[in-house]
Amino acid sequence: MGNDAKKIFKLGIIADNPIFRQVLGICSALAVTNLLVNTLFMCFGVIFTTTLTSLTVSLLRNYIPQRIRMIVQVLIIASYVMMVDIVIRATAPDIHRFIGPYVGLIITNCIIMGRAEAFASQNRPLPSLLDGIACGLGYSIVLVAIAVVREIMGFGTILGYPLPGVDIWWHQWTIMVMPPGAFFMLAIVTWIARSRDREEDAAS
Amino acid sequence: MNKKSAWYIIGFMVVACVVFGTGVSVVHNATLGLLEKNQRLHRNRVICRAFLIDVIDQSPESYDNAILKNIKIRTITEGNRARNVYEQIDADTPSIGFDFGGMGFWDRINGIVVLSPDLEKIINIQFFDHKETPGLGARIEEEWFTDQFKGLPIAWEKPVSDRIIFGHATGAGTVNRIDAITGATQTSMALRRFLNEELERIRNLKIDL
Repeated sequence: MGNDAKKIFKLGIIADNPIFRQVLGICSALAVTNLLVNTLFMCFGVIFTTTLTSLTVSLLRNYIPQRIRMIVQVLIIASYVMMVDIVIRATAPDIHRFIGPYVGLIITNCIIMGRAEAFASQNRPLPSLLDGIACGLGYSIVLVAIAVVREIMGFGTILGYPLPGVDIWWHQWTIMVMPPGAFFMLAIVTWIARSRDREEDAAS
Repeated sequence: MNKKSAWYIIGFMVVACVVFGTGVSVVHNATLGLLEKNQRLHRNRVICRAFLIDVIDQSPESYDNAILKNIKIRTITEGNRARNVYEQIDADTPSIGFDFGGMGFWDRINGIVVLSPDLEKIINIQFFDHKETPGLGARIEEEWFTDQFKGLPIAWEKPVSDRIIFGHATGAGTVNRIDAITGATQTSMALRRFLNEELERIRNLKIDL
């Protein structure tokens, strides 16, 4: 199981990363990455939903009628997303005011349904749970990396705290907090990841 | 059990809906008190900020007390619409606040505008809720932006759309203008439009102080 778990995490975080390999969940990756704190809450929501959805779909895989499996998956995903939405609204209302619309959109995040359909519906609960966590983490790592760069370049802050002497050495690029900034960063991250993969393929 | 039979499929969906619906309901009910408390605290905080009321202790109870002690709230109806009016009590020159709102860039923006008793100038503006872009349009909430409204005269003699001007203004010494938000032109324009329209409606209310 140890090796299997390691393999699942390696696939979810690097080799099959939802963002730069599977190109899933791009909409929210573009929308919430201009401030790191918003991104962290979004990542929490996605990890929670991918993990529990994969586990639930796997537990029910032998009982879900094949013809309506996608409807059932949507029902499961929507329930968990509503729970996340309610919890964030109750515990962090100020952040919910900003990311609320995007939290609701986790329901349509392709990563969750993609993993439920491709992995959880065909595997046992524990590997499915780990796959959900791994994919959520793979999504989150890329989002956090993009958010750190966008917030620093766009606002000169990190988690809302100004960087030391930022006005002296940096003039904020407004475009980095606007949608084009997200496209630039996503393209750069994908470029780096794909170049690295190609080098590794060539070496092997 | 035949998983392809219609009865199995219907039964499965009914059970799944009941189970997951119950789960969501449980979480919702468990946090209901917290949600109401948060909403009330947020509303009170916005009203206190709008009327420049200092609340040293940031607890919900302190905000409740501050509102009770300083503000009288009543609701008036204009056609189908209800609008809250906030009157400052026990002040030398009691300011008067009004709910105001309109369509922003993405969705409706709601706030409170506090005016001098003669309605000649804005004392302050604060926002209850909006869905503008984080980092751009959402900056309407930031202090540097709302501070510009403090003491801003309303040019009642001008056409409705020019009583408060955002951004560039022609003519030297224009006193009824503020800076718009860079990168959030649509939000700024929308706010200017509906703020001016709401000021006109507020003036027509002819509130007795």
